[in-house]
Amino acid sequence: MTEFAHAAEPPTTRTRRRGRLGVIVIFAFGVVGAVTVMAICGSLIAPDDPHAQNLAVSLAKPSHAHWLGTDSLGRDIFSRIIAGARTAFLGPLVIAAGSMVAGNALGLFAGYRGGRVDSFIMRWVDLMWAVPSLVVIIVVAGAVGGGYWLAVLLLLVLTIPFDTRVVRGAVLEQTPRPYVEAAKTIGVADARIMWKHIWPNVAPVAIANSFLVFAGALVTLSGLSFLGLGAPPGTPDWGLMLAEGQTLLFANPVATLAPGAMIVITAVSMNLIGDWTYEQLAGRGAER
Amino acid sequence: MSSRAAKVAVREAATTVLTVDQLHIDRLRSNRQAQTIVSSFSLSVAAGETVAIVGESGSGKSMTARAITGLLPPALVAKGEVSYGGRNLLSLKEREWRRIRGREIGLVLQDPFTMLNPVMRCGRILEESTLERGLSRKARRTAAIARLSEVGIHDPSVVERYPFELSGGMRQRVAIAAALARDPTVLIADEPSTALDVTTQREILSLIKSIQIARNMALILITHDLRVAFGMCDRIYVLYAGSLVETAPSAALESEPLHPYSHGLLLSEPPADYRMRELLTIPGAVPSPDEVADSCSFAPRCRWAAAACVQAKPPLEQVVPERLSACVRLHDIRGEMAAVRDRATGEVHAAVAISDEPSLIRVENIHKVFRRGNRRVVALEDVSIVIRPNESVGLVGESGSGKTTLARMLVGLEAATSGEIIIDGVSASNWADLTQKQKRRLRDSVQIVFQDPYSSLNPTLSIGATLNEAITTRDPRARNVSARAAELLDAVGLPAAYARRKPAALSGGERQRIAIARALAANPRILICDEPVSALDMSVQAQVLNLLSTLKRTHGLGLLFITHDLAIVRQMTDRLYVIYRGRIVESGTTAAVLDSPNDPYTIKLMASIPRADVGWLESTRTIGTGLPQVSAHSARSNSR
Amino acid sequence: MIYYALRRLAVLAILLVGVSFAAFSLLALAPGDPVGILLGDAPRTPATVRALRHEYHLDKPFLTQYWLWARQAVQLNFGRSVQTSLPVRDSITARLPTSLFLGGYAFILTLVFGVGLGTVAALRRQTATDRVIVGGAIIGLSTPAFVSGVFLVYVFAIVLHWFPVFGKGSGFLDELQHLTLPACSLALIASAYVLKHTRAALFAVVDQDYVTFARARGLPYRRILFVYILRNALIPVVTISGLMLAFLITGAVLVEVTFNLPGIGQLLVQSATTKDLPMIQGVTIVVAAVIMLSNLLADIAYEAVDPRIHLGRRSK
Repeated sequence: MTEFAHAAEPPTTRTRRRGRLGVIVIFAFGVVGAVTVMAICGSLIAPDDPHAQNLAVSLAKPSHAHWLGTDSLGRDIFSRIIAGARTAFLGPLVIAAGSMVAGNALGLFAGYRGGRVDSFIMRWVDLMWAVPSLVVIIVVAGAVGGGYWLAVLLLLVLTIPFDTRVVRGAVLEQTPRPYVEAAKTIGVADARIMWKHIWPNVAPVAIANSFLVFAGALVTLSGLSFLGLGAPPGTPDWGLMLAEGQTLLFANPVATLAPGAMIVITAVSMNLIGDWTYEQLAGRGAER
Repeated sequence: MSSRAAKVAVREAATTVLTVDQLHIDRLRSNRQAQTIVSSFSLSVAAGETVAIVGESGSGKSMTARAITGLLPPALVAKGEVSYGGRNLLSLKEREWRRIRGREIGLVLQDPFTMLNPVMRCGRILEESTLERGLSRKARRTAAIARLSEVGIHDPSVVERYPFELSGGMRQRVAIAAALARDPTVLIADEPSTALDVTTQREILSLIKSIQIARNMALILITHDLRVAFGMCDRIYVLYAGSLVETAPSAALESEPLHPYSHGLLLSEPPADYRMRELLTIPGAVPSPDEVADSCSFAPRCRWAAAACVQAKPPLEQVVPERLSACVRLHDIRGEMAAVRDRATGEVHAAVAISDEPSLIRVENIHKVFRRGNRRVVALEDVSIVIRPNESVGLVGESGSGKTTLARMLVGLEAATSGEIIIDGVSASNWADLTQKQKRRLRDSVQIVFQDPYSSLNPTLSIGATLNEAITTRDPRARNVSARAAELLDAVGLPAAYARRKPAALSGGERQRIAIARALAANPRILICDEPVSALDMSVQAQVLNLLSTLKRTHGLGLLFITHDLAIVRQMTDRLYVIYRGRIVESGTTAAVLDSPNDPYTIKLMASIPRADVGWLESTRTIGTGLPQVSAHSARSNSR
Repeated sequence: MIYYALRRLAVLAILLVGVSFAAFSLLALAPGDPVGILLGDAPRTPATVRALRHEYHLDKPFLTQYWLWARQAVQLNFGRSVQTSLPVRDSITARLPTSLFLGGYAFILTLVFGVGLGTVAALRRQTATDRVIVGGAIIGLSTPAFVSGVFLVYVFAIVLHWFPVFGKGSGFLDELQHLTLPACSLALIASAYVLKHTRAALFAVVDQDYVTFARARGLPYRRILFVYILRNALIPVVTISGLMLAFLITGAVLVEVTFNLPGIGQLLVQSATTKDLPMIQGVTIVVAAVIMLSNLLADIAYEAVDPRIHLGRRSK
């Protein structure tokens, strides 16, 4: 889940792709691009209305009319997949972006300032580390009531500590370096040092990490919907569709496997882009 | 000298054990192109003989050691011949190599802190290296202890310890014992002392030499320091940008180098015994071997280069019996080289009179204590120094002496635990207590240049941006900022076009100059130089040192030189302080302290400087540990 | 070492107290009237309300409520389930073994495949084998347990009939067969992470000077592989494996739901969807305790493996 997006080691140890833009990375960008388009204007592209039920053709196998068949209520799977891109994209985007902003700010502060601020922040991070986010969200959502955006909010709050930790680690590597000390001896203001000196050297890790966060958030959110604690029933959400389709595995397996495949493909693409971004940014002399 | 000549004659009669002939090492890149690392390298060494491969970074010297033992990194390929025991080692398979490595040829690497397996106890490391099997636990322990005593470790508890519990010098000794555990005929030592403190360096080199003599081994020493080579070796091979440029017996090379590069190298290494009139520099930086593939590798930097030098690669030829040189113009320039040498090595006397101007920096009874977890580390104890304007003062100490802590306190990166620092009339013991105006005044008085040029510049900022920031931080309303930046670049001898480049595109020497330019942006009255040249190649060090001397003259700068290198201190400073374990143990004018040191530590430090004469390693003055004892093992190997 | 473990246990106890407080506060946070929640579907009469108020001390101040509840909780008495009216403790103790079995099984699979394949990939660096393994790892990383669970069920249970579709089975071997698919799907992500980290750790170690020096002394290849390379790579691998322990517990939630296994995870989800607060509280505490204990075990293992930490601490 999300927490382990951050445990992954920097991808420079992976085998280098031949040339900057390997085929696989292009494919990954393609997938992400397609998902984005689907998320923004899904209703325009989908052949059928994702909510339209038609019990007469329920559980139909893939055919010319319904490319991926229909589910138990006769809804077109293909259209639902397209519509599902919205919940697969928006929530993780909010989480990745929000966590990056907050995590970077906190990580910079904790790593650069050190001392009490750092101890306090790291205590909180350690506490979060010990508690898996999924369990917390299940418990809280269960008590307070489910809902997609509640889950997004909770996951955002729970992801910030991990971003903080990653950024703090990178900042701690940079802070003792002579160029930072030189800036201090010249008299450059602390804020400027953090923003102009340290952050650009930390940015490759931070930005690449955001992609991994996105992938992890997508996985967790779909998982929550799968459990019935995320998107409300009836929403075209990939995780929810997976749950609904589980009982139909015998009748129309595509109804279940397709949304699952979409989750995997999107998450893989995001992971690949994250790794690629890191290699590009880090390889450009940002780090010696 | 004559005793050495006699020794050389004796060794000539000994049999050659290892020969390297026309060794080429290439790196294969992903685009199928080969990048030359070393070309046409040849060497021979006999039993009981010591040869040195001398070169700077980029010369390829370490790779030759790896090639001889078959340990080149994956992308590197060696061609040519390495003859040992009648076979060409380069044609061996990995399985056959395992019988050669350790048993016939031993290798000691550079960094004792990473050479030993961190999760193994030292005793185990020694045991696994020996060939004797089936001994009882007690017998193995005794054997390990015996080997340790051969390298001068007489404390038996070391066999139980892990490497991280030992000091650098001790670890290096353990590594040497492990490398010798199978009693090889040849030992290759790759910069065995570079990672250690100055005083420990001498001990380790002395140890290696005495073991070599006792076992009658052949020794190949790889080093960047000519003086070490002179003190330890019989013959020297000088490697530059992957090619051999000169080969000679060390005494002959020392008295007269027969290649402009060796000549330049010799003259850019300042001696500690006297102050030279000028430090000769070699302009430019070391090229990659491919850049100079079709010409003399040194031609781009050579003051005597002519058309003949760039037409083809000069072959290594015998110019005098026993000596080979790759300089085609040698006969023409030999006389000139000698003249340059004489001029440069003329002694000059440093100013003895101490100026009576009021001090600019006054440090009084400073104490600094660090708290690390539960431990208290006393970094500085009752330290007092004085620096006047226009003076050049040295602060000499090894790592852990506290010298860097003191420097950091002077620029506000650390606060004193107690005591007083007064800079230009402002009390500077704790910068947090000062107003912005006071801080600015201090920054206009004192600036610092750090040791590592590779990390003292922000890699994401261009040079121009770095300098502009320095200028505008000091004076936010400055106009013509880029013109001022160009001025600074000019002052350190770099073209204005460099402003657009990023640090990654510059060499170490150039980066250090930028760091100096940045420090000058504030127009300080005193420049603190914390080991400014120790991360640079020899041929580049002199450039930076000369630059600092010039700036001192033209800008009226005072200098505080922080270094472990007494030779640099001799050249660059008028007065000096010697610091040891947080205390000042000696001070005075440079000449007085270095010529007649009083404190035992200063004496030890002076004795540790590599000297050309053979007695340097065998000195019987009471310094540190005595010579290691000879053990039964070495006696056995003699009879092989 | 014992001293360190004891200290950590004390910290763990304090953390658990914190968690318990948070769990307890859920009752207050939940929308609606606590009585209504605790009643569930039972009829709301003055008698039942009074009984409830008495049983749950709802009249007393918040902190007193907490204290009384905590006292019970320490004895593992979490009250009654709103859904079943049975003691929470019984449900938990009935289901815990299944989850632990599943988690343990998955952990073993994770180590075997993660470390094994990671080592193979590292030793066959830059070859096709390496690339395939790494590619597989990326896909494994991105496949959540419920997706892989469904896929595995489809392929191995429905199409190939090798394994049963759902349920727990009874008897050791039967359970093993029933739990294989769930354990595999649970282990998929975890082993992908362990694989990546093992590979990275081995890369880092293989380039180290001490490996070169060992080769320079002519030591046999097998010895270098095990005592030098693997032993040192073990240190970061143990760290990441420790993280995986906690992860497996959460992943178990999804897998249990997918495969309809009567474990703690399924219990948690059920109680969450039905707002069975006492059950939620009880399960939360137990899960938190298990996670913290496994983190502690991982830390101790890490200490044991790296002599620098172990002795460094002792020398103080």
